[in-house]
This record gives sequence, C-alpha cells and structure tokens, in this order.
Amino acid sequence: MSEHTVAGKRMPRIDSVAKATGDARYTADIALPRMLHGKILRSPHAHARILHIDASKAERLSGVRAVVTGQDVAGVRWGVFRYTRDQAMLALDKVRYIGEDVAAVAAEDEETALEALSLIEVEYEPLPAVFDPVEAMMPEAPRIHDHADNNVNIFVPIEVGDIERGFQEAHYVREDHFSANEHGYYQAEPYAVLVDCDSSGNLEIWLSNASPHTKAKALANLLKMPLHKVKVRKVASGGAFGGRSDVFPGEFIAALLSRKARRPVKIVYTREESLTAIRQVHSMAVDVKTGVKADGTFIATDVKVIMDGGAYSSTGPIATSVPFLVWEETYRLPNVRFHGYRVYTNKPVRGMYGSHGRAFLGGLGMQLDMIAEELGIDPVEIRLRNALHAGDVQATGSKVFSCGLSESIRQAAEKSGWKEKRGQLPYGKGIGMGCNGMMVGFPMGIRGGSSAYIKFNEDAGATLISGVADNGQGNDSMMVQIAADVLGMRMDEINLVSADSEITTLDQGSYSQAAAFVSGNAVRAAAMDARKQILEIASEMLETDVKALELGDHRVYDVKDADRNVPLHKIIRYALLRNKPIMGRGSYMPHVDQKREWVSNPRGQQAGTFSFGAFVVEVEVDVETGRVKLTRVTGAHDCGFAINPMAVEGQFDGNVGRAGVGASLLEEHVWDGGQALNANMLEHKLPLSVDMPSVIQRIIVESMDPEGPFGAKEAGLAGAMNLFQAVGNAIYDAIGVWLHEFPFTPERVLEALEKKGE
Amino acid sequence: MEKRIIQLTVNGEEYDLAVAPNRTLLEVLRDDLSLTGAKAGCDDGACGTCTVLLDGQPVRSCLTLAVEVQGKAITTIEGLTADGDLHPIQQAFVERGAIQCGFCSPGMILVTKTLLDENPHPTEQEAREAISGNFCRCTGYAKIVEAMLAAAEMVEGGCHE
Repeated sequence: MSEHTVAGKRMPRIDSVAKATGDARYTADIALPRMLHGKILRSPHAHARILHIDASKAERLSGVRAVVTGQDVAGVRWGVFRYTRDQAMLALDKVRYIGEDVAAVAAEDEETALEALSLIEVEYEPLPAVFDPVEAMMPEAPRIHDHADNNVNIFVPIEVGDIERGFQEAHYVREDHFSANEHGYYQAEPYAVLVDCDSSGNLEIWLSNASPHTKAKALANLLKMPLHKVKVRKVASGGAFGGRSDVFPGEFIAALLSRKARRPVKIVYTREESLTAIRQVHSMAVDVKTGVKADGTFIATDVKVIMDGGAYSSTGPIATSVPFLVWEETYRLPNVRFHGYRVYTNKPVRGMYGSHGRAFLGGLGMQLDMIAEELGIDPVEIRLRNALHAGDVQATGSKVFSCGLSESIRQAAEKSGWKEKRGQLPYGKGIGMGCNGMMVGFPMGIRGGSSAYIKFNEDAGATLISGVADNGQGNDSMMVQIAADVLGMRMDEINLVSADSEITTLDQGSYSQAAAFVSGNAVRAAAMDARKQILEIASEMLETDVKALELGDHRVYDVKDADRNVPLHKIIRYALLRNKPIMGRGSYMPHVDQKREWVSNPRGQQAGTFSFGAFVVEVEVDVETGRVKLTRVTGAHDCGFAINPMAVEGQFDGNVGRAGVGASLLEEHVWDGGQALNANMLEHKLPLSVDMPSVIQRIIVESMDPEGPFGAKEAGLAGAMNLFQAVGNAIYDAIGVWLHEFPFTPERVLEALEKKGE
Repeated sequence: MEKRIIQLTVNGEEYDLAVAPNRTLLEVLRDDLSLTGAKAGCDDGACGTCTVLLDGQPVRSCLTLAVEVQGKAITTIEGLTADGDLHPIQQAFVERGAIQCGFCSPGMILVTKTLLDENPHPTEQEAREAISGNFCRCTGYAKIVEAMLAAAEMVEGGCHE
C-alpha cells in the first residue's frame, strides 16, 4: 500500500462546507412538529434528604404537558460499570450536589416550563456536606453514599516488581507533591437533547455523543426497552473532549417527558447547567516518589493520587487509572506502586477529559526534570534514556508494537533549537519538554470492535456505513478518505452514513482514541472486501485472471495492458445482473486482553497499539505581573501514519490551546462550598486567539504501525497529555522556580517567586 | 408579554414579524426565521457563536433585542452564500482545515468578513485581535488565522465581489 491516491494527503473535510455555511444541524437547531420544551429542576443543596415533592401545581399550569419526578422512576440508577451504578437519573431520596436533577417539566414554550418549575415544591432536610476529598476520607466526614466507607469511590492498586528493593538500589530518590483544581470541558456547544417517543413504542433521540451505540444500550436498559426500539440519530456535534462519553440524566429525562406527553421534547441546557450538571474535570493531589539509577533511568516509581470525583462514579475507574497508564505507556518502569483513589464529595460529577491528569502527568514530568538537574543530565537525554521502544513490555504487561517516541523527542529537540536555548535564554524566557505515550483503544468487551459496510449504486457512487462518531475531530471524513483510497475513488463519490445506532453496526465510539485504529480498520476491511468483489466481477468480464487486474481511476484494467479495461459503473451493473451485487463488509477487533479490568485486574494488553509524542514549549514570564505567555511550540507526534495531515495538525493546535494554554495557565473553577462561582465563560478563563503562541511547529512522526490502517494509530492525545509538563519545565527554565499547583496563574507565579526570594 | 409588529431585513429579505419586546435577535432568527446558523453558546455575550452582522458590523445577537434592529441590514451566515457559491472566506476556512466541530465557524467567518471589508490586508496580529471575542475549543485558532489571511489574498485576487 505504498501508492496512496487519497490517504496521507491534505484533504478538506467532507463536513466542512455544511459547517461553513450554517447548514450543519446541531441538536438545538432541530425542531419537530408539536415539539415541547423541557426544563429541569435542580437541587439548591450540596447534600440533603428529599422529604417530599409536590408537583401538582406545576401539572395544573396551562401549557404544561408532562411533569416527572424521582417518584416516576424509583430506583433507576446509572453507572458506566456494573459495579458503579450509583447515580439516580432523577433524585429519589437524596441529593448529593448543587445542580442535581430533581424534577422536570415539558411545556408548550420555555417560559411556561420555567414557570412550572417554580411551582414544584420540594421539601429538603439539609445534611452536612464535604467538599474536599482528603477531608471526605476522614472518619468523621459525612457519608455521601451508604456503600462507600470513607467516601472512597474507586481504589486502584497496581504493584509491579519490588518497589522497596527498587528504592534501596536507587542512586537518587526524591518526593514531590503536585495538585490541580477542577475545570470545565467548555465544548462550544452546550448540552442539548431532543427525544421523540412515538405511539409504536419507538424512541428517536438526537444529541451530541461519543458513541451512539453505547447511548442506545444505556437508554434501553434505563427505560427497559428493547435495543432496536431506541434509535440514536446522527447530528452535528459541537465538541466533546471526553465530555460526551458518559450517559447523563438529561437524555433520560427528555425520554421520560416525551413518553409521558406523547410528543417530542427538546431540552437545551444553559451554559451553567452544561458546566455543573453534566461532568467536570477532576481536581487531584499527587504524591510522587521516584528512584533512579546514576544514569537517570527509573528504578522505582511510587505514586499516590487522590482525585475529587464529585458526587457519582461516572467513568471513575478509567479516570483513576489513565494518568498512571499514560506514564507507564511512555517510560520503562521496572518497579511500581500506584495507589489511585477517587473520592466522593458533594460537588458536581467528574469525568474523563482529553487532558485529564494535569497535576499527575505534569507533576511526574516536572519531577523528571528536577531529577535530571540533580544528576546533571539534560532533560532531553533523560527522556531518551527512559523512553519505551518497539518490542518493550510496559509495567502492567502491554506490548509496544510500534514506537516513535525517541524519534519524536529528538525531532522536537532539534527543530525547537533545544541545545542552543535550554538554560541559555535570558531571565524570564525558558524552554521545556514534555512526553507521553497513549493507549489507542482499551478493552471494552463486545463493544470494543467496529464493523462497516459499503454498497454501490448503479452509477458507481458508493455509500459507506460505519458506526463511528465524529465530535469535530474529523472521524467522518477520515473514514471516507480510507475507503476512497482503497477503492481508487474520489472522496466526493462516497457518501457516509454514520453515528446512527439503528442503521450502523456496532462501533466502540470516539473515546479511547480508537476511531482511526479500530473504526478505520473496519472501514478499510469493508473497502478491501468490495474491491475484491469488483475485481472478481471484472475478471469475468475481461476473461482475465484476477491477479492480473488492478482497480483505479474508476475502472479495472489489465496490469500488463491498460487498454484492456472495464469502467467501474459497468462492473457494478454487471454484478447486479449476475445477482452478485457489490456489498463490502469489514470488521475489526483490536488485540487486547479482554480479561484486563481497570480495578480488579489491571494487567495484560491494554490497547491494540500506542501513540507517542514529545512537545517543546517556549515561554515568557512577566516577573512583574506573574503572567506566563507561550511564545512557541514545537510538537512531534508519532501518530503511526497521518491519514489526513491537515486534520492531524488541527489536533496539535487544539491541544496547544486546551492543554498548553488552558489547562496549564488559565482554567480552574472557584468554589464557595459546593457552588461553582465561575461556571460561565466570562469568569472561567479560557484560551482566546490572542493567548495562543503565534508559532506552532507540527512534526508528524510516522512509525507505520503493523496493525493500523495504512499504519495509522491515533492523532489526538500527544500534546493533550504532555504540554503541562513542558510548560512547568519551561517556567523553571525561565525563572528558576518550580510551580506545584495547576494552573500556573499569575498569583501562583508571583507567590513562588516571593518564596524563592525569601 | 404583548407582541409588537416589527419589520426586519435579513440577508436582503424583508420579514414582518410579531415578537415580544424581550426576545433577542438570536431567538427570532433561530425560532421564527429558522436561520439556525447563529448559535447560542453562552447567552452571556462571551463566546461569539451568536455573531451576526448589523449594517456590516458584528454584534452579539444574544444581547441584542429584535425590536431594536428594525431598519438595519442584518446578515447571518446563511446570507454569505446567497448566490449559491461559497464566499472566499468560507472557501478558505474549508480548504485550510479551519473548521473542526464547526460550532464557532459562522461567527468566526462573519467577523472575518467585517475585518476584510475594513482592512483588506490584515496582519496576523490584526487577524488574531479581530477574532479575540470568538471562542473556539477545537482548533487552537491557528488554522482559523491561517484561513483569514488566505481569504484576504483570495478576496484581493478578485475571485469574489
């Protein structure tokens, strides 16, 4: 597959014209006949018992068509895992955070729905609440869930090798502490959902999501419906970053209201609801003790992290594990002890985020620079000495099949001018590096694979059907690009049907970074299957052995005599006449250890492959104001193979915004107890165009994974998971102080400078 | 609230509408005229996804009352392709990969329109400043700025208007 026609080329995405013209339909843009407007009544208490709910006045208000409370759905609880079903989709006996869903109405218009909410009487008995995970683990802390002693929601212990012996044999050992506050996903599109329950027992639903099939299955379970009656429809998505992966009360409530009213119901959250009543990004505190040999290679790694999970589990087992796994996916770690705690508090629920674990990965990556300095080793060199290589086995047992980490480190260093700059820039200016590896997919049982099919129309145009979801990163376009390349067609000759749970076959969804590797492999297989059928039909038509034929440029031709050829549309028609219509099908299941489990068995092959990256940032620190500005970023990312280099570059840039500027320098929520004081876009600082570095050098490293489609792995998580280290290290290079608390706001920079001066 | 009869000029078309005086221009465009290209992203005037042009100047339609804008020329993203072809700015956004989730794109494109109308040769810094009131979570703004500068060249090259 060396001669690509479309793959590997910079292609405009298939969805971008509709998005440039305003034609793309997002959930809130859709209106159905007789559609009602839903609104949700939320808890004003961080922790309270619900004594009584009286919704009768709301029900009697003119224009109200349905009211639901926890009484309607007693006992319906959601959890991503069988062992984490702790979130009532409508609170029944207790509320555990400010903003929790208590009751809902559907009315003819929004004003009536809001008025109806004000008529619902809820009697609460406030309970003592706890807002800090360390306090929540104390014996005297209020108990948030009956099942959770010391409010510990998830505990992940991982032990590899002999940690004590590792420390005994270490040449140098150091311990550090890092922490980070919560922040928000801030997808451009606020949460919105539209549900239409019809009289035949079908439920159609439109909402931004990372996996239509997972949403459908969850709703079928929660609503006790057969899966084929729940139809998640495709809709444009205004961003996800991990925040659309879980299942939320909003969609369940909209379904209940629609079922009750027998009319379509749309619920559109306010920005504040989107920030507090869905998911936030975990805050965390990390203690890390590392022992190295004299040459700087790791010999013992002991990490304890306490994450504030908020009131419910969400993706807790994954969230508790991922930062550590990313670390072991980067470096050789012979002896490890990891204790990950996710703790319940009376704060909004926390989920997975594209840059989850800034205190963890930022902290470990900064500590590595501290160690390097102590040992007199260059930060680039110490990374190269510890970096994983192809053929290595990671701490918990995953084999690495392709690895461009060392090459990424070298290229990022070289193209950033590392040698000339590190330690040599004037005071206030600095340069730093961060690295990471990243799982491409993870074990998800029957839901971990993807399948696709492709059919041909008589004019030789094709329709590709894949379950892949696109949250803006370009997965849809990527699938078409893969199919077009295999079939020798133009991208505009292939129509895509995706993300519809009724029409498409099962797909793992666009979390876990698996779309290119898993969905892409399924699409490639479907296209290869169609190609094989086309060649077989052509072989009959040309009376030539199939091995002598090639498909390309809309025809099949004899390799030895290109004049002997037959156009594709004739092949399609001939196949129809012969009762052998061209229908390609393909599927892919990554080779992971299906017995691996996040908490009970964190061992075995975690992912089908791993991506890698190294980013170098340059900063300017204003020592008067404490403000840090990124001036230049040089990132190298081993994505396996760049199916669309332009889309890969877009991921570099987005990560510089979200992780390099946002998570590292700006973003955090401020609290009064359980009330987020800045759950809006004015006071929660977000990266804007003027905050970005004007130079982003993007280096695509292609390690050509043996299993990936055309060698591709994933292209989204390199900078996302390492830029916070790079920024912290660059700040040290600039002003000689280490910052231990994210984000690195002007206040924290000034405080650290003051301490240093003392 | 008692409705008032107003006349709005949107993308060159005149509309007679009965609207309550508390309704925003964004609500009227989206709900009454089905022009859903302008989005509600924050309802605080912070994010810029609701941007439309009023006599050629970008405004936050979520902070603008519909009854205030009678007699002014309102341009939404749908109005940029009135003749069926992509505007060079739209074309540049598509070709340069400046669109990911696309939720901010209509606002970004309209702000670029005003910038290029007033300043056909913007510097990179001027382009950055022009969109500094428009939030994008996906792109890190890099390819948007590239597209804005490319669009300036395309407009200059005479491929439109």
